Formats: sequence, structure tokens, C-alpha cells
Amino acid sequence: MTSLSFFFVFVPFLSFILLAINLLLSPHLPYQEKNSAFECGFHSFLGQNRTQFSISFFIFALLFLLFDLEILLVYPYVVSAYTNAVYGLIVMLVFFLVLTLGFVFELGKNALKIDSRQMANLQTKTNKKFTFIK
Amino acid sequence: MIIDTTEVQDINSFSRLESLKEVYGIIGMFLPILTLVLGITIGVLVIVWLEREISAGIQQRIGPEYAGPLGILQALADGTKLIFKENLFPSRGDTRLFSIGPSIAVISILLSYSVIPFSYHLVLSDLNIGVFLWIAISSIAPIGLLMSGYGSNNKYSFLGGLRAAAQSISYEIPLTLCVLSISLLSNSSSTVDIVEAQSKYGFWGWNLWRQPIGFFVFLISSLAECERLPFDLPEAEEELVAGYQTEYSGIKFGLFYVASYLNLLVSSLFVTVLYLGGWNISIPYIFVPELFEINKVGRVFGTTIGIFITLAKTYLFLFISITTRWTLPRLRIDQLLNLGWKFLLPISLGNLLLTTSFQLLSL
Repeated sequence: MTSLSFFFVFVPFLSFILLAINLLLSPHLPYQEKNSAFECGFHSFLGQNRTQFSISFFIFALLFLLFDLEILLVYPYVVSAYTNAVYGLIVMLVFFLVLTLGFVFELGKNALKIDSRQMANLQTKTNKKFTFIK
Repeated sequence: MIIDTTEVQDINSFSRLESLKEVYGIIGMFLPILTLVLGITIGVLVIVWLEREISAGIQQRIGPEYAGPLGILQALADGTKLIFKENLFPSRGDTRLFSIGPSIAVISILLSYSVIPFSYHLVLSDLNIGVFLWIAISSIAPIGLLMSGYGSNNKYSFLGGLRAAAQSISYEIPLTLCVLSISLLSNSSSTVDIVEAQSKYGFWGWNLWRQPIGFFVFLISSLAECERLPFDLPEAEEELVAGYQTEYSGIKFGLFYVASYLNLLVSSLFVTVLYLGGWNISIPYIFVPELFEINKVGRVFGTTIGIFITLAKTYLFLFISITTRWTLPRLRIDQLLNLGWKFLLPISLGNLLLTTSFQLLSL
């Protein structure tokens, strides 16, 4: 076993020790007001946590997945660029071209846009007919 | 025959000399880990104190001055207070996710300290894929943020967790593309190799001059990854109360607090390793490296000079990020995500392609 593998075991162990120390040394006096969800000025309703949320977050995560896999496939090229000379460069450029075309398509479809009321008010005021990337 | 020789070896290993060697081996394995963890802890204490003093200086007030001389022990006092606070579990929240969330955020950041070279041969593990390990492990942190946001039964925490995770993953791609450009220039993913590739011409050998656009993008992306102002939205007090940290108390809140500063420290260390030349003295032609014997193993003076130089460069970047915090206003979430996807991603992609083209077509 090397230092690195011990480090990988030691660090979670350290954080759990800290949590255990807190559990041992802290008082434990829960009551209903203290445990309920934080809300300013009224009691929180039931089940507000499990309501709808904007689909944009999911779309951002999906696009992140695609681009992360693209970068993952670039890692071997980056350490062997000299070995592959110009042929490898052309292959990599074609790869990036295909993915960039996909990126331009989804930029055009406004997939990365979060609808905000502030921006909508601004557009109606300035009377823009055509919003491209905004 | 084989059974005889192994039995003889086993008996020999129980003799005093062999068991002493094993004990020394085990101590030699634990000592770097303990030194590193001690160094990181002291580093975090210093950063917390530095942030409060510099913020106080910028805002023209006096910072902490009661805990220890000049307020040095303030971070320790805060940590001790948090240990004694009650451990609240929100009602109807998911208890397991709530407890594990902050631990995952801290663990993923602490594990990336193992590939940073503080001086020649002062790295916990000189992996061939050092920077890849950092990027891969720090990608686990958004999972911890999502767990914390969902496990507190609070819509503000949930939204804050979603926003924090979206911000983290959006800025990882420009960060990774900049790191890839540096790997290309140094022809290796090992952090020690990247530092040694910058050691030739002193000041002018830094990757900062070879990759100015990459430096700019890396600076912005690492500030966004650390969730520091101007990318502070997950902790925005006006909108989300305290984001995903709202329902936390006790040492779990302390873990989030420490995770933020650990992330800042590891980003600063990576800026010095990748762009500012690591542990090399950067004055060209005056101090020849052999004069201070930096690249020879076991020279104590040389290695302490290396540590000192690494830390000096790191604290320069820390000072820049702390003063940026009190200089720029906060970005809105859609401005933030626009900056990451529509500005930094094309620029860093173009930077990578330009770098490969220049490296290969000019030979």
C-alpha cells in the first residue's frame, strides 16, 4: 500500500471523526420550532421541497455530460500530440468541428437560456425583434 | 522446495531486523500524509485570518484582534465553537443525504492535495496523470452540494443547491480545457513535469507568457469553482437566505466553511504550479539553479527555498482573489451561466486548438 492509498482512506476517516466529535460534544434538545424548515415570518408549508423546478438545470447538466465526455476523449491526444504529428491534429480538428456544430445548433435553439423576468421586461422596453444570443 | 523457502522467509521476517524495517516502512508511509494534513490545516487557518484582515483593511475597519495576538487564533476559535453547537436535523428531510453532503464536498477537495508539488520530491504521489486526478476528483463536489440542498427540507436550500451545482459544472469545462492546453505544452499530465518544463529561463519560462488567454480563463473559472464573489450566488443572502447551507449547524457548517477555503487554497496552488512556475526561483540569469541546489534530492536548504517560493506565489493569487471579492458586484445566475457557456467555453476551446496548431505546425 502506498501513501496515496492511505491518504484516500485517511481523509474520509478524518471527516467522520469530526462529525463524531460534534455528535458527542453537542447538546441535543430538539423541539418542533427548531427543527422545522427556515421561513421568514410564517410557518413553512408541507412538501414545498418536492415541487417543480426549472428544466434548464437538467439541460445544463446534460450539456455538461456531453462536453465532459468530449474533453475526456481529448486527454490521450494531449499527451501524445508530438507522436501523432499533423495527422493527429487533423483528426482532432475534425472531432472538434463536429462537436462545435452541435454546440452552435443548441445555442441557436436557446437551450442555454434561462428565462428571467428581468430580461423579458428589458426586451419589451427596447422592442427588439430578433434576439440571437442573449 | 518452494514451501521450504517461503517458510524460511516467514521465520526470517519475524526476527528483529526485518520487523523494524517494516515498522520504518509503515512510518514512512504515514509521515508524508500527516505532514500534508498538518500543512493544509495551518494553511487554512492562515487563509481565514488573512481573508478577515485583508477584508478589514479594504473596508477600513479593524479585523479580529481578541483571539490570540493580532487575532491569529480566530479560525481555531470559530472551529471550536462550531464543534459545541447543536447538530440539528431538519424535520422530514433526508437524514442520510443531509449528513453526507458536506463530507463529500470536503473529501473531494482534500483528496486533490495529493498531487501538488511543494518542492522537488515533496509531492505525496508523483502520478503520471496528476492533473487528471485533480479534475476528476473535484468533479465529485457538485454531488455533495446537490445532496445538501435536497436533504434539507427547504425550498431555498433546494434551489441554492441546484444553482451551485449548475455553476460548478458549467465552469469545469473551461477549467479543464485550460489545463489540457498546459498539458499539451509540457507534453505530460504530471504536475512535477509541468513545473520542470517551466524551469529553463527563469521568469520568462512561465506558462503565463505562453498561455495568457488560458491564464485569464483559468483565473475566472477557478474563482467560479470556489464560489467566491463575483460568483457568490449560492450563498446570496438577499435571494436564497444562505443557499444550500441554510439548515446546517455545528461542524457540518464548519465543514462547508472549511471546504470553501480548502478549494481556494488548492486553486491557488494549481495556479502557481500550472502557470507561475511552481517551486523554481524565477529570477533569470542571476540565480543559477545549481547555486541553490534545488533539483538535488535531500538538500534541505534547497527544498525549503522551494516551499517558500511556492507559498509566496500562492499567497499572491490568494491576495488577488480576496481583493476581487470586495471589488466586483455579484453576477445573476443567468449572467453567470452565460459567461461560462457562451464566453469562456469558446475562448478556451479556441485556445486549445490554437496551442495545438502552433505547437505542431511550427516544427
